[in-house]
Formats: sequence, structure tokens, C-alpha cells
Amino acid sequence: MTRAFGFFLCFVATSAAQIGEKELRQPLSDNWYEYNGTYDSRRHSELKQVNTGNVRSLVPSWIFHVPNASRLQSVPVVANGIMYVTQENEIYALDARTGRQIWDYHRVPAYQRAPNRGVAIWGDKVYFTTTDNYLVALNAVTGNVIWESKFAEYKDGYCSPAAPLIVKGKVIVGVAFGDRGLNGILDALDATTGEILWTLHTIPRPGEPGNETWSGDSWKAAGGDTWLTGSYDPELNLLYWPIGNPSPDFNGDVRKGDNLYSDSVVALDLDTGKMKWYFQFTPHDTMDWDAAEIPMLIDAVYDGKPRKLLAHADRNGFYYLLDRETGKFLHGAPIVKKLNWASGLTPEGRPIRIPGMEPSLKGTKICPNSFGATNWISPTYNPETEYVYFVAEEGCGVASKNTEAFRPGGFQYRATGDVPAPDERTRVFVRAIDMKTGALKWEQERAAAHNFGGGLLSTAGGLIFSADFEGQFSAMDARTGRILWHFNTGQKLSAGPMTYSMNGKQYVALSAGSDVISFSLFDNK
Amino acid sequence: MGTYRLTIRLLCWATMFCFAVLAQVAKPRNPLGNGIEVVSQGHDLYNKSCTACHGRDGTQGDRAPALGAARRYFRLSDAAIFYAIKNGIPGSAMPASGLPDDDIWRVVAYIRNIRSTASDNDVPGNVQNGMEIYQGKGKCASCHMIRGQGGLIGPDLSSIGAQLTLAQLRDALTKAIPPQEGYIPVEVTSRAGQVIKGVAKNEDPFSIDLLDLSGKLHLFTKEELRSVVHQPESLMPHNLDKTLSPTEFQDLIAMLSRQARTKIRREQQGENEVGR
Repeated sequence: MTRAFGFFLCFVATSAAQIGEKELRQPLSDNWYEYNGTYDSRRHSELKQVNTGNVRSLVPSWIFHVPNASRLQSVPVVANGIMYVTQENEIYALDARTGRQIWDYHRVPAYQRAPNRGVAIWGDKVYFTTTDNYLVALNAVTGNVIWESKFAEYKDGYCSPAAPLIVKGKVIVGVAFGDRGLNGILDALDATTGEILWTLHTIPRPGEPGNETWSGDSWKAAGGDTWLTGSYDPELNLLYWPIGNPSPDFNGDVRKGDNLYSDSVVALDLDTGKMKWYFQFTPHDTMDWDAAEIPMLIDAVYDGKPRKLLAHADRNGFYYLLDRETGKFLHGAPIVKKLNWASGLTPEGRPIRIPGMEPSLKGTKICPNSFGATNWISPTYNPETEYVYFVAEEGCGVASKNTEAFRPGGFQYRATGDVPAPDERTRVFVRAIDMKTGALKWEQERAAAHNFGGGLLSTAGGLIFSADFEGQFSAMDARTGRILWHFNTGQKLSAGPMTYSMNGKQYVALSAGSDVISFSLFDNK
Repeated sequence: MGTYRLTIRLLCWATMFCFAVLAQVAKPRNPLGNGIEVVSQGHDLYNKSCTACHGRDGTQGDRAPALGAARRYFRLSDAAIFYAIKNGIPGSAMPASGLPDDDIWRVVAYIRNIRSTASDNDVPGNVQNGMEIYQGKGKCASCHMIRGQGGLIGPDLSSIGAQLTLAQLRDALTKAIPPQEGYIPVEVTSRAGQVIKGVAKNEDPFSIDLLDLSGKLHLFTKEELRSVVHQPESLMPHNLDKTLSPTEFQDLIAMLSRQARTKIRREQQGENEVGR
């Protein structure tokens, strides 16, 4: 009888249950509503059923194969018992307990090739962007298309790989590719109608502040794209969006100046899109060091008083701590040992460049290489350890430049690039640094990995989950970095792991190559 | 001997190059078009000239298959069908027809017509009135959605005109058709005795996800259920030709035939290609 009653309690009833501001502002627990988990983008879950004591018993619960997938970059989103996974122009809605498909959506025709990193949820709908730059709104329970709204032109070369961020009924979407000389935009669309409410031009046009940081007409084909999902502070009502590299990537001669707002994080008023402040990590970048790495919003006591902080490990090799109310630089520190282009940061946070350390006609050895000290792979923050965790690459490149000209229509506009330095072996690490000082606390090498691989997840179970490029999915002790569990997925990993809970059971899931795998503790009942 | 081999190899490359170039040349389209008159003439010609083997009106015949049935065809483009009628199909019983080229194009127009989706035809009827019937007397919108408006329990009809042939569209409204995957009516009883009716969005031996009639989704494992009973018949009423007047029915068909938001990319499935 008890058993039968237990069964009765078990099943999950969901519906077109409305997801609103209240749900999206909850700490990360049973659901995972958006790409970065929560508005603060810390990717730290309160779930602790899986913890340092029992993680050895973690086993796959189910596997879902995504047809024709190879390198999934989608972070699964879970709401009301349904998991949403994407690849370009496709969504799969799964029963999050069983991995069984409830519905799928395939956009036809599907233009261009580019990754897709996931959906966002609002009200009774899911939203995602297509490779031809439509925001599509679908009923979350059945996948019926409610509307679609175009926000950029694919024939110019634009596409939209990032998962949208939805705040107070505004869907924030961005574009790629900055490496094609396409100037970035960030749009806010009405979640009910699809109407474009405001647009930020990340490269200021003539008459706008910052346009003077581009010599001549160089602002016209300048990059600065918005290809990853940003963060949001509900109290300040500010969006924090990371901006990509300037074009042409490696030849700065044709775009003298600081090249705002490339390689910056910008703070925008959610309601108007107006910029409150910006901070540029790499003025006049010539190494493709996008600042797309996700800004994490952290509240902590700093210098004796509670501060609203923004933590960001940048591709240029430095870690930055900013005051996110004002954009003031508070502290910075190198995050890699191989760093030869700047000797440090000024008190304002501007890099102190070493003369000559930029791409040349013959080639210049520059560390980090153009992949960067870190990249778009998600970092995480654990409020108990107060460590920031990120994936670091120690590597150098021999960078050269040429005088390639811009061609409209979505062609590469990089003016050459870099090759691995022949005398250096590239190595990839998961690193934990002190949030306030940037001091290294521990590191764990992703042995044999020649690529960043996937992102990181922190849980209240004292664990850091890590997805390495060669296919090993592992769990580390958040305090020491010791590996407590690992599973060979047999696939190249590029996406970030996530966690959710249903009926009192915690799952840890990730997109692995061509499959979604969900893990839970072994249950021998 | 070496020179001979080289010559053969060069000839092979040259032949492959020619094929590659020819593949880029646009295939001929029907010069007579696919207007109603051409289709009608083609229909008459087809019933006179082709029915020794194929059945009348595109049905199956004694010696040859149906050309209008819902199946995957090897010859899809105008050019491929024309070539088969003109020259026959080597290795099969299909002979060269001996018809003049213009008559062959008329037959091609007819065959393409009986295979076309509803949206390819200019279906007569008052579309606006059809939408009113859809939302009102026909009660279609309580279960179906068109462009974001309507119910969730039945399939979305925003592209139905590009998915079904006109005949299939009529059948869907007038004949008892087994429910398709994702819309199979099910009644489940939980261990505690709660009864829920709906359609199964997913089912396997161990789980079932049920969308109930109010639009709420229930995610069950089979362990949580006392019984799962499948209903053989679709929830879709199939008497709309009786509950609506002939004019209302035709207006509804006309409206549905024009719902083609996402045209199915037949090219991706092999259209305009010969063979697979």
C-alpha cells in the first residue's frame, strides 16, 4: 500500500506552466532555465544529492542520440520536467527523467552552417535562434511554432549561434561572425510579439561616442559580435554583454585606435538598451581575443564592504574583477604562465603592452595564442570556496598579418592568423583561482587535450564537473581539484554540463558529441 | 601497353568530367506548363494510352504500379518522367510510348498533378469563409493551431497544404484514419486510481508522456500506472462532409490547402533527380 502511494506521488504533471521573472531569479536547483543556468551566470547549483562522498556511484541514466549531430554545443535547458536540447535549426524536447522524445522541431529550409547553443524559456514558450537569424517562439509542451521574427540578414554572412537570454519579457539575441568584418548588434525582442524593441550597435557609428576610436572608415567592417549569452542583474536592471574581437583580426594597421567596443563587456539598461558603462579588456586587439567569455556576477565583501562584482577570465591572459555598478576596475592578475605581450595591467586595468608583440609580416611569437588563455567555454563560481573555475590553455602562436581587404557577403576578414609555436607544447587545464585575488588555488590538467573542450559546473555537493575535449567527463573536489569520478563518453566534448532534479533525484547531464547523456546515482532498488 | 592504359585512364577522366558538366545543366521543364487545361488533356491521354498496364486515374493496373499513390517515386522531375515515357524504362515492362512530344508533356503534367500537394493546386472556394468555418462551426481551432492560434491536442496545420495531397486532405476530414504517432488517444489509470485521457506524445515499454485534453502534459513511468488503454480511433471527427454544407466544406478545404508556411523541401528528398 505504501509502495502504491509512493508511486502515486512520483509521476510528474507538467503543463504550459508559466515561467516568469520569479522562476528565473531562483537560485539554481531543480530546473535549469537558461544557457548559463541563472542570470548571474555562475553555473553553481544548490543541488547536493550527488556529492564528494557518493559521486563514485554516478552512472548514466539515459542517452538520447541527436540525429546527424557531431559536435553539440547546446547546454540542455530543463523546465517543468522537459529537457530542451538543440543543434543548428533543430530542437528536441525530451522527458528529462527518461530521455524519451516528446517533440522535435526542424526548420526548413535551413540556411548556413553554425553551432547552436540552446534555448531560453519564458511564459509557456521556448525560444531559439536559427542560422538565418530568426528568433522562433514555440509552445513548450508541443513544439507548435507560435511566431518567428527576423533580426539580421544571413545573406550578409550573419548567423546567430548563442542561446537567447530572456528578462522581463525581453528576448536578448546576438549575432556572429566578427571574423568576417560584420559589425555586431544586440537586439531585444518582445517575447509576446517578436517585435524588435531596441538595438545596440557594438561598433559605434559616426556621431556616437567611441566612433573616434576607429581610424578612417575602419568602423564599417569592424566585427565586435555578440556570439555568446550574457548576464543580468535584476537589482541594477543591467545586462552585461561580452563583445567579440575587431576585424580584420590580425592586422591592426588599418584600424588604428582602441576600437571600441570590441573585446569589452558592456553594461546596458534592460529597458532602453542604453549603455551605462563599458570596460575594454584588450584595446586595439590584434590576436582575435574576443571578450566573449561569460561574465559572472558575484556579491561579496571586497575591501571591507559589500560589493557587486563582475568576474571575468579573459582570452588575453588576465583575470579581471570589476565593480559592476560602475565598471570600475578593482583587481587583475595573469591566469596563464605563458604571457608575453603585456607586462601587467595599469591601475585602471589597461594592459601594459610590450613593444613589438603583435602580428608581423614575418611572424611574431605571441603568448597566449589566438585561441586565447581561455575561451567561450563556460566558467563557474562556488560561493563556498570563493573560487572561480575556468578552463585555461597554455600555448603560444606565431602570428602574422597581411593586407587582405574586406569583401561583403560573409567572407573571412582576418588578414591572416597564427600557427602553433613549434617550440611550445599546448596544454589545457582546469584552474581554480581565488575570486578576489586571482591567485591560483589548484589546477588539473586535461591530459592529452589539444583543444579547450567543454565547460564547467559547480554544485553544492562540493563538486566541479568538467567535460574535456577527448571525451572524459569528470567530477573534481571543488576545494582540491582531486578527480573523484570520471566517465569516458567516447565522444569529443564541447558543451557545458548542467544539473537538475526530478522527483527528488538529481541528474547531471551534458551534450556529448552527438548524444545527450544524463547521469544519476546508481539505484539498486 | 602503358600508353593504352594511359589513354583509357584519360578517357575515363574525360567522361567523368563531361558527366560533371552535364549535371550542372538545367533539366528541361515542361514547356506546356501545368495549367488546368494541360492537366485535363494529359488526364484523357493517360486514360487512353497508359491504362493497358497502369490503372485508370493513376491507380494500380494489372501490369504496372499506381502513379498517383502516396509512395516514393524514382522518377520525380518533369524531365525524368518525360524521358521514361518517351524511351521506356530499360529492364522493365515499360515500353517507349510512341506519343508525340507535346502529348508526352501533357501526360507529364497530369502525373505531376496527381502527386502534388494541396497547396500546388488552386483549390476553388472562399478562403475567408473557410477560416470562419475552421474557427466556428467546424470547431477545428479547439484542437488545431494555425500560425500560433488554436489548440494543442491535434497536429499544427500551419503547413498542412504543403504536406498532404488534396485527396489526403479530403480524406482527413471525411474518413476514419488511424491516429498518427504523437496523437494516439490513450486513457491511463494511476496506481491511486486517477484516470487521465489524452494523446501519447511518447510511449515505450517503460514510460508514457501524455498530453491531456486540457493541454497539460503528464510524464509517467509505466510503474506509476495501473493501466494504459489505447483507443483505436483518432480524436479527429471524420464527418465534416456531413456536419458542414457542401459549400462550407469546400471553403474549409480551400483554406486548408493554402496553409503552407513551411514549404516542404522536396528537393532535399530527391525531387529533380533521376533514381536514388
